[in-house]
Amino acid sequence: MTATCREACCSVTPRHTVSALFERGFRRNRAAPLPIEGAQLTDAEGNTARFSIAVVDGRIAGIGFRVSSCATLVACCEFIAETVPGFRPEIARELTATNLVAALPGVPALKRERAMLAVAAFRAVLASLSSFEQNGEISNESRLHLRHAAP
Amino acid sequence: MKVAYIFATQRHNVSYVLAKMILPQLEENRHGADVVGMFFFEDNNYVLVDGNPIGARLTKVAKEKGTLLMGCDQCCYEREIADTLFPGVPIGCFPDLYKALSGNMPDQVITL
Repeated sequence: MTATCREACCSVTPRHTVSALFERGFRRNRAAPLPIEGAQLTDAEGNTARFSIAVVDGRIAGIGFRVSSCATLVACCEFIAETVPGFRPEIARELTATNLVAALPGVPALKRERAMLAVAAFRAVLASLSSFEQNGEISNESRLHLRHAAP
Repeated sequence: MKVAYIFATQRHNVSYVLAKMILPQLEENRHGADVVGMFFFEDNNYVLVDGNPIGARLTKVAKEKGTLLMGCDQCCYEREIADTLFPGVPIGCFPDLYKALSGNMPDQVITL
């Protein structure tokens, strides 16, 4: 079996280049958040990321995010938002920054740390989802947790 | 006087203003100002692609003089050259540029 070529030569859309992901992610970044929001995380350079998520029948139905306007970070988050829906949360939790870097060729080494922030923020929203599932609703305690990101 | 150049317009900018004016003057130490940084937008970023002959001269002078060279990250991603620039030449946006220049601030920023 041969994987589909995702390069421009085969006119496959949507393309998963950083530039194309940024274009789509730029719009998603300004959209209203989905019902369950995760903690906002901040990296050493001051970039922030917060995901939101919708789950239907035990599967991730939609992913939103609100992140700093860094092109690399937006592209990383958009890749997650486009590829993870349809998976169960326990499967989605297995996504790593290494996976993300491998999936986004063309990101120079100095910018690859953005993938770590994106994945950490995505795991944070999955943690909020677990809390939501256990309590039936986001408790006040959970809301407090969401507003105070872990360092 | 310390200056930083922002190459924002295209056409004859890199091949003429940079390659035939600024760069020879820097190589001959007669530019008249200390160039602390150069930032490149749009197609001007192609000069930073590893192997570009003008870029090779530019990176050599920049290394000797401690000049920051930086490409616009969105411009480089759009052209799919972000990971093909000369070694040590970063990409970034305004926060990265200001942070990189913060230790050696220019007196003037000149947009070309």
